[in-house]
Amino acid sequence: MRLTRRTRLAGVAMIAAAGLTLAACGGGSDDGGSGGGGGDNVITVYGTNPQNPLIPTATNEVGGGDPLNNLFSGLTAYNSDGSIVNEVAESIEPNEDSTVWTIKLKPWKFTDGTDVTADSFVNAWNYGADAANKQLNNYFFYPIAGTDENGNTLDGAKTMTGLKVIDDTSFEITLKNPESDFPLRLGYSAYFPVPESAYGSDGKITKEYGEAPIGNGPYKLTKSGWERNKQISMEPNPDYTGAHKPENKGLVFKFYAGGGTDAAYTDVQSNNGNLDVLDQVPPSALKTFEDDDKISAYNEPGSNFSSFTIPDRLAHFKGEEGQLRRAAISMAINRPQITEKIFNDTRTPATDFTSPVLDGWTEDVPGNEVLQFNEAEAKKLWAQADAISKWDGSFQLAYNSDGAGNKEFVDAVTNQIATVLGIDSSGKVYPTFDELREEVTNRTIKTAFRTGWQADYPSMLNYLGPIYATKAGSNDGDYSNKKFDQLISEASSSDGDERYAKISEAQTLLLTDLPAIPLWYQNATAATSKNLKGFEFNWQQKPDYYKLTK
Amino acid sequence: MWWYVGKRLLQTIPVFLGATLILFILLKLRPGDPILNLAGNKPVSDEVRDALAAQYHLDDPLFVQWFQFVKSAITLDFGETFSGQPVFDLIKQTFPVTVTLAIMALAIDAILGIGLGTIAGLRRNGWFDSSVLVVSLLLLSIPIFVVGFVMQLVFGVKLGWTSPTVGSDWTVSSLILPAIVLAIANFAYTIRLTRTSVAENLSADHVRTARAKGLSNRLVVRDHVLRNSLVPVVTYIGINLGSLMAGAIITETIFNIPGIGNAAYTAIQKGETSTVVAIVTFMVMVYVLMSLLVDLLYAVLDPRIRYV
Repeated sequence: MRLTRRTRLAGVAMIAAAGLTLAACGGGSDDGGSGGGGGDNVITVYGTNPQNPLIPTATNEVGGGDPLNNLFSGLTAYNSDGSIVNEVAESIEPNEDSTVWTIKLKPWKFTDGTDVTADSFVNAWNYGADAANKQLNNYFFYPIAGTDENGNTLDGAKTMTGLKVIDDTSFEITLKNPESDFPLRLGYSAYFPVPESAYGSDGKITKEYGEAPIGNGPYKLTKSGWERNKQISMEPNPDYTGAHKPENKGLVFKFYAGGGTDAAYTDVQSNNGNLDVLDQVPPSALKTFEDDDKISAYNEPGSNFSSFTIPDRLAHFKGEEGQLRRAAISMAINRPQITEKIFNDTRTPATDFTSPVLDGWTEDVPGNEVLQFNEAEAKKLWAQADAISKWDGSFQLAYNSDGAGNKEFVDAVTNQIATVLGIDSSGKVYPTFDELREEVTNRTIKTAFRTGWQADYPSMLNYLGPIYATKAGSNDGDYSNKKFDQLISEASSSDGDERYAKISEAQTLLLTDLPAIPLWYQNATAATSKNLKGFEFNWQQKPDYYKLTK
Repeated sequence: MWWYVGKRLLQTIPVFLGATLILFILLKLRPGDPILNLAGNKPVSDEVRDALAAQYHLDDPLFVQWFQFVKSAITLDFGETFSGQPVFDLIKQTFPVTVTLAIMALAIDAILGIGLGTIAGLRRNGWFDSSVLVVSLLLLSIPIFVVGFVMQLVFGVKLGWTSPTVGSDWTVSSLILPAIVLAIANFAYTIRLTRTSVAENLSADHVRTARAKGLSNRLVVRDHVLRNSLVPVVTYIGINLGSLMAGAIITETIFNIPGIGNAAYTAIQKGETSTVVAIVTFMVMVYVLMSLLVDLLYAVLDPRIRYV
């Protein structure tokens, strides 16, 4: 048969096209296998692909944090209300000024059968604090002796001087400063133990471990484990004896492409087993989700605190003039109106600098009337400030537009400021979070900027010390007040009512100086399928995964 | 002809080098520090920041980064994402679903578009032509995310004919709805393009000659009108495959399809330079090969076109 030129050409084209299609089909069938949802009492929950290897000291974002919290157990475990129980720790005893803590361990095993020893903790923490290991959670070790203010070991040392192994089942932690609520920190993922087998011959935690970590928690990874960009599957750890005994047959953290909460919400609505729990209602559904009869809706105040910071170094914001202007700006903002109109009541107007989910929180911090909308008083204070030095220029508030709702609320806040105070005020947009943070970190930012805080551990002090203490790691506004520093350190070393009184006093100081203007507490919102039972938010705005059943 | 194909393939080398260089420059122009994104709200020490930046070559001069990338790309080593997955694996994992989706959309687009367009062109100014015109105008004017969400709500949630989202265990049948959504905007164009082209050819000299020879209407339309009308349409559809793949991000997000568009989008957000460059370069290569394919198809359609 003679092939005409045209037939040959068509042949080339067809083969090329067929090649593409075949490649596509081949890839498709590779992906088959274990299904995402369904199953017997296996709960499918929303997740995102972890951004770091699954190592406790390397994981600082929810995509990896949620799985880790289920795969590992720390010295203490958090109850839903934020209080703690001893988990791996048999006892945690302070010396008289709460600077040296002695820890004794229960008999406990990793899922590979090896014992959890004092070394499992101490080595993991030292590893995390050594800057050479590039662990993003190094910051959590700053209270321990032998670290700098960022939690890195001093002068590149391999170990922290504050950690001392006594024997296999006990060790001692020496802190830089007294801290009576130190055990509250110890349930956080940065403090999880890591088994001996995780380390390679070069002393580094291996890549393989970061992909399929061996833990000591309520769950362990299934054989398929972490399938990149798809899901993380885990099953109950049969040897687990701690406080969070799973009541379901396993968890699947299902990832959504590009973090698509809209797609996830549709999956929950359809009740087809694709997704049982979405712990983050998409902005598009916030108005309607509580009336949606296809899902079960949850909405309550959470542990995220939102504010904006006005650095001292901005013109007109120093000394007495600054105090007056900050108070005026704060009173010019009608918080309830914004939380209702813009956030559909998924934010709660702030009355202090912490969060209502915490032990000891109260609505009645003296001085918090400065957070109430008060047009007349705002105008009066602004005029007083003008008497000291005349206002010029514009009040700008910087935000990142890649966060949902940021633009809307900044526009509303600056509008209210402009209307009430009669000045020029507007938002200043940064396209991404890291662009904003870079200028904030380098102190090159020339405007006020939005700030927020998500607690590391359930203590009011965690909302104050790390942000407003002199030279603290997250003190983006360079606030410094000796009286405040002292109150915080006194509160850290005291207990009970005395401690709360000191915290209250410290907050009153902040309400006078207003280094940051509190805006609202972010509510925890969730949508679950109709047949899901046992959903309850914990202090981290997450469900207690082990309690979920269906 | 093989000489022509070889020449065109050789041309991909400068395209590759140029595309990667432009991408590196563009990403370098993006302000911000990816490491701060990794750190979130928490402080990160300078030591850790510098060590991480060194690992991903973030602080090297632009040309050094580019040279390193090209050097390892030759051995198909595109580096790793921040979470430690080789970028090559990421592409291998996400590309098939995107290609399948794009080809399905393209098939819908071609079959419906050319079919309806031809009928409309043959019955110019009739009721069929007018109604197709109105419908295609409508489809063109509705943004894809509206179509996507509405179709998802109607067919996925309300009627329950199909799962509202696709997920990573995708099958060809689960991609039908997203493929239709993706095809809709394009196929309106295809209809209009085919219609105009067919209408134009109907009054051309060679068609009149064919009719004068006494050929049946069917043969005239198939061999003389349609084939000659398809050159611009094939160009449009072929080039579209490239943009369908790159432009499917919205559809992929609505239907939770873990495709390559989404992988690129996530990487851009996080400032993972090498991941973005690798994915986009890959897409550029696909684009180049598609246009070569289209050029070869011309000769099939129009005997006057030859390659030397």
